[in-house]
Amino acid sequence: MASEHATVLVVAEHRGGKLSAATAEAIAAAQQLAAPWQAAVHAVLLEGAAESGLAAQLARYQLAGVLAARHPALAEYTPEAYTQALQEIVSRRQPRAVLFAHSYQTRDFAPRLATRMARALFGDLTALRVEDGRLTVSRPMFQGRLAADLVVPGEAPAFLSVQIGAFRADRAALAAAPAPIAAEMVAPAAPAAAPEAPFQEAKQAVDLTQAAIIVSAGRGIKEAKNLDLIRALADALGGEVAASRPICDSGWLPMDRQVGSSGQTVAPKLYLAVGISGAIQHLVGMKSSRAIVAINKDREAPIFEIADYGVVGDLFEVVPALIEAVKAAKAGG
Amino acid sequence: MTTERPSLEAAVVIVGAGPAGLACGLRLAQLLDEHREREPRLPAKDSIFILEKGRETGAHLLSGAVLDPSALDRLLPGWRERAPIEAAVADDAAFFLTSRRALRFPITPPPLRNHGNYVVSLNRLGKWLGEQVEAAGLTIFTATAGARLLFGERHAVIGVRTDDKGVDRRGERKANFEPGYDLKTPLVVLAEGPRGSLTKQLLGRLGLAGPNPQLYALGVKEIWSVPAGRMPPGRVWHTMGWPVPRSMYGGGWIYGLAGHRVSLGLVTGLEYHDPGADPHVLFQRFKTHPFVRRILAGGEMIRYGAKTVPMGGYYSQPPAAGAGWMLIGDAAGLVNSQRLKGIHLAIHSGMLAAEAIFDSWRTGDPAAVARTYPERVAAGAIRRELWTVRNFHQGFERGLFAGLLNGAAQMLTGGRGWRDPMLARAGHLRMQKLQAAPRHDWSLQPDEQLTFSKITDVYHSGTRHEEDQPPHLIIHDTDICNTRCIVEYGNPCQHFCPAQVYEMLPAEDGTKRIHVNASNCVHCKTCDIQDPYEIITWVPPEGGGGPNYEGM
Repeated sequence: MASEHATVLVVAEHRGGKLSAATAEAIAAAQQLAAPWQAAVHAVLLEGAAESGLAAQLARYQLAGVLAARHPALAEYTPEAYTQALQEIVSRRQPRAVLFAHSYQTRDFAPRLATRMARALFGDLTALRVEDGRLTVSRPMFQGRLAADLVVPGEAPAFLSVQIGAFRADRAALAAAPAPIAAEMVAPAAPAAAPEAPFQEAKQAVDLTQAAIIVSAGRGIKEAKNLDLIRALADALGGEVAASRPICDSGWLPMDRQVGSSGQTVAPKLYLAVGISGAIQHLVGMKSSRAIVAINKDREAPIFEIADYGVVGDLFEVVPALIEAVKAAKAGG
Repeated sequence: MTTERPSLEAAVVIVGAGPAGLACGLRLAQLLDEHREREPRLPAKDSIFILEKGRETGAHLLSGAVLDPSALDRLLPGWRERAPIEAAVADDAAFFLTSRRALRFPITPPPLRNHGNYVVSLNRLGKWLGEQVEAAGLTIFTATAGARLLFGERHAVIGVRTDDKGVDRRGERKANFEPGYDLKTPLVVLAEGPRGSLTKQLLGRLGLAGPNPQLYALGVKEIWSVPAGRMPPGRVWHTMGWPVPRSMYGGGWIYGLAGHRVSLGLVTGLEYHDPGADPHVLFQRFKTHPFVRRILAGGEMIRYGAKTVPMGGYYSQPPAAGAGWMLIGDAAGLVNSQRLKGIHLAIHSGMLAAEAIFDSWRTGDPAAVARTYPERVAAGAIRRELWTVRNFHQGFERGLFAGLLNGAAQMLTGGRGWRDPMLARAGHLRMQKLQAAPRHDWSLQPDEQLTFSKITDVYHSGTRHEEDQPPHLIIHDTDICNTRCIVEYGNPCQHFCPAQVYEMLPAEDGTKRIHVNASNCVHCKTCDIQDPYEIITWVPPEGGGGPNYEGM
């Protein structure tokens, strides 16, 4: 049954009892989108029967409400159960838009959900706006070389998923008082396939998109053994190690550590590019990082054009000094 | 491990959905439609397979281009109203560049006169032709490469095997492995473009060539968006001279496209002596000439690409057909190197091939094509055109001025010139060793605004490949790279490749080793052509990979 006020839903993502970092980004996007429509934003949480505290975390944001859909079939993520549950909720609430963060999990179930409801999913969006009453979204094409503006057709709901890092999690407005949490009834069938324990690849599996601090190595480190220096800096900062393409190509680090157009796109709070020249293929993978620090002995290296802080120097001198400085700062308090 | 492969029967397999392959398919469809009622036993349209390694039709098509409309007028009357055309040629001129000046030829040399022709994007034209082909009821199998020819008795071609999908970089099967198909057919039409991989396999196995080896040039191109009025649509300019050294063959082009865009590029002959020669550097330098810089100022580079062109002409043509196979388009060397035009010849040859094939279906004698197709080519417009310029490119063996003199002599003698046929040596054999070679300055410091590094340019070619696949650039003996070539030629692959696929990188023991960045490859085939030791073989990567030449 449609309500008088427009509604925007944003689907929260969580794993291991914690909300994903990108959920806050999706909330920020939803709040921005809702403004011109004067719509009410509700966060949707899908979880198992047991209460977890996730709803309370969501309630801290400036929302009209949190819809907590709890059901045993939702205890573990499966695409079928999520699709069914969300289909019920969306049919019932009839929002103008449903927002997601464009994560791997979203890509697993959201297209199915949109198709079931005879809509398209507009994915990997970097911008949303309402112009002349029409919803216009932007998404990158050709590996970020072009941005395509698409007008979303008028029939509600629109299914939109926002690129990781395109919206700032810290722009998601918090509320003075917690939003009301309502139980949302859903009855998804038990999925045909029971999920096994989440697949953990041997300890190297890393989701760089979740890291807040990344120390990234490029060709400047010259030899595989010099990665120890990078690891030491990452440890001192409490961050993850990543690399540009040539490092992973040579097998010095596994492919899941590669940042760039043929690797991962990341947007951490702090990205340290060590010995990376800044070829455009790498830049598109990290340019949305909140703060970029570059260390390179070539002052003409293109990385310095997007770095917030740059050190022109030999990384074999700068990095050890940096490690000492970080340790001292942390010890000092 | 032997692989179970699905096998399909085809009436004909066309490898390559460029202008030649598409013209062949479309003409076949037209003929089938015309005659189907009277002759119901003709093959069904779904037994005609067109294979295209690009992700979509047109993705790997690149050219300047100025199109001679004669062939399309035959194939699709009324095409001018429907096909994507940038502009009719409005004015043309030729210039001789010195390092600072541009001297306009008072009279545009006749081969470079383009009145009546059209500035087109070959990518867009190809896409449009692809749509016509599909509307006519044929299917283009995109993201599908012809990986190998299948041979029967006495080297007859009996089919094509398509590429395996889902093989990892060590050659192991991945979860999404799909074996390629064996398409069994009495006739394979090779329309792969310059230096096609199956064409190379075929000619090598059968020991076939023309009187001259094929000669090639590498064209490096960018499309720019420029402020309005800088280069009106339909303006066609060609240049020679700077920055191409006098001993090398090459020249530039600047064409005005619609929508405030410019197509520009530089063609470099792949027969140079200096192993350090870098066609990409020459093109970047070309843009810094005041004449060109003025046009591009305040503009933005939109797309980059590179591709080789067969330049040998009439005497470099391999035999056009044999038992179970035919060559059309650039794969057959059908380019008028004097006018720098090959698209119309590709379309003509595709049509002639279709007509020969169709006749063979009616007479029930597919093998006859091996005789009738070359006869049609020899009797028609293609041969007439290529005959008059049969010695053109060979005339440049001694440099620019010798070439121009030879060219003039040939124009006065109907193509005969001083010597007919003028023989030529293969381009890669003319490369001289480091000690003996003339050395030019190939340094370039790109400013990333007007001039770009190869890496930035590759990014703008839209090139992508599945990363986890076997390298598609096969170097048969890397020891030669690391020990001999490094001393004798200085590893010219680092210089002639316009996509920085090849690099000599320091290894742990301090020596330099060849490193291949296969996924940068723009499929130009320069390395397969120009490597002096002939140890690089280009094979198609997993179908769908490669550049995305939108608008090129």
